[in-house]
Amino acid sequence: MIIFKNLTKFYPSDTFALRNVNLHIKPKEFVSIVGRSGTGKTTMVKVMTAEETPTQGRIIIGGWDITDIKMGEVPGLRRQIGVVFQDFKLLGKKTVFENIAFALQVCGTSRQRITEVVPQVLKIVGLAGKENRYPVQLSGGEQQRVAIARSLVHRPKILIADEPTGNLDSMNTREIIDLLIKINEFGTTVLLVTHNREIVNSLGKRVVTLDNGQIISDQKKGRYLL
Amino acid sequence: MSLNSIYQVIIFAWQSFWRNFWLSLVTITIIVLALLSINSLILLNVVSDKAIDIIKEKIDVSVYFRQEATENQVLEVQTYLSSLTKVKEISYISQQQALQNFRQKHQNDPLIIESLEELEKNPLGATLVVKSKNIEDYPEILTVLDNSKYNDLILDKNFDDNKIYIGKIKTISDNVNKIGFLASGIFILIALLIVFNTIRVAIYTHQKEITIMKLVGAANWFIRSPFLVESVFYATIAWLIAIGLTYPLINLIQPHLTNFFLDQTFNISQYFQDNFWRLFGLELLIIILLNIASSFIAIRRYLKV
Repeated sequence: MIIFKNLTKFYPSDTFALRNVNLHIKPKEFVSIVGRSGTGKTTMVKVMTAEETPTQGRIIIGGWDITDIKMGEVPGLRRQIGVVFQDFKLLGKKTVFENIAFALQVCGTSRQRITEVVPQVLKIVGLAGKENRYPVQLSGGEQQRVAIARSLVHRPKILIADEPTGNLDSMNTREIIDLLIKINEFGTTVLLVTHNREIVNSLGKRVVTLDNGQIISDQKKGRYLL
Repeated sequence: MSLNSIYQVIIFAWQSFWRNFWLSLVTITIIVLALLSINSLILLNVVSDKAIDIIKEKIDVSVYFRQEATENQVLEVQTYLSSLTKVKEISYISQQQALQNFRQKHQNDPLIIESLEELEKNPLGATLVVKSKNIEDYPEILTVLDNSKYNDLILDKNFDDNKIYIGKIKTISDNVNKIGFLASGIFILIALLIVFNTIRVAIYTHQKEITIMKLVGAANWFIRSPFLVESVFYATIAWLIAIGLTYPLINLIQPHLTNFFLDQTFNISQYFQDNFWRLFGLELLIIILLNIASSFIAIRRYLKV
């Protein structure tokens, strides 16, 4: 599903964000990518979403070599990869429904299709009945659920969660992780980028540990090593 | 590019227009000023062309014949002149008619009338009034006449030198045109800079939406297009306002123009209506293209997709 081949990302003048990374993630896997701040976790996400291009090596997503992806092909790639962030990236002046619908509107989806899809994803993330609320009227956990719902509207094969629980308390954190597990069980490959030791240790799933831009550990049922 | 996408682009552009309402208003105002100055320039050109046409119509050359020149000789000269391609028309004024005209012209001057009475015979010769096709042709026609065998029959030639007036009108109109062009150019330049800045601000105020659009896989053209459409809104609204202001102005000056030219057929409002799409349609097209160009530069510079 996702293949990193000898991938290096270098930022001038002297920063190696990723150094000779080799990684193979199979379809429907749940993988936690862990490491301290500044070890290259977010750069990995950016390379996968074509926000950054590798300096060396190759990156292949779902059989598609996106190393030298053309600008016009990037939107197509991003519709296949759902991404959620620590800061939710919701539009404050739009309701829950509108925030999710926005992701479909900007891709030219018809109104009829939007009214079908949005309630479905709201149900998946457990926000049915809250579609008319504004982000400020929701808890942090609920806001992150909206962001996850939005990332699911295009039925992506991969969901990347970049520090999704960074702004949440322990209860909301648990709920979000449970939701990610549920999504994974539906067949979506999930990459959880985090430095939350407790969560990683409780998952009992594959853990890839990065340090200084290099993979120092890749365990099938891993634990937080650092 | 589906119809849904196009619809969404228009909706986003419209929302952006209202979100930065005051900025949109300033942008439109400047474009309106640019368009009004262009419309004034067009108006001025139409009026000055009309003035020149009227004066040109009045220009002619009167060829006065000696008293002893016979009617046949004068008519021969008329035939000769008619054969010149540059001559438009020739009127023949007989000796008798010339005398009548003279009497009429000086009917309030008893001294002249008495002097005429004392003369036993008509002191005036026949006259040919020549009109050329182009005002520039008069000197050539006069030269041809000077060098012809008929020169001895001619007493005098009176080239009513309205050309000086035309020259003056042309100079004034050229100068006003120059100032108008300069003013229009400055307004257009300012308008383009304002549009550029408005789009730049719009991009900044939509930064979060743009980030999300990119995140969820919106096509690059979709992210950019609302800003281009927004600039088309500015151009179109400004154009409508400019037309809305131009027509009352035209109607306001119409009676003054009719009085000035003493010509009821000259209807400037009608002129603008007859040439609506040629003038205003072209104007709309150009201002839209310029706005799009300006926005495009702002998008290329400030919107990274």
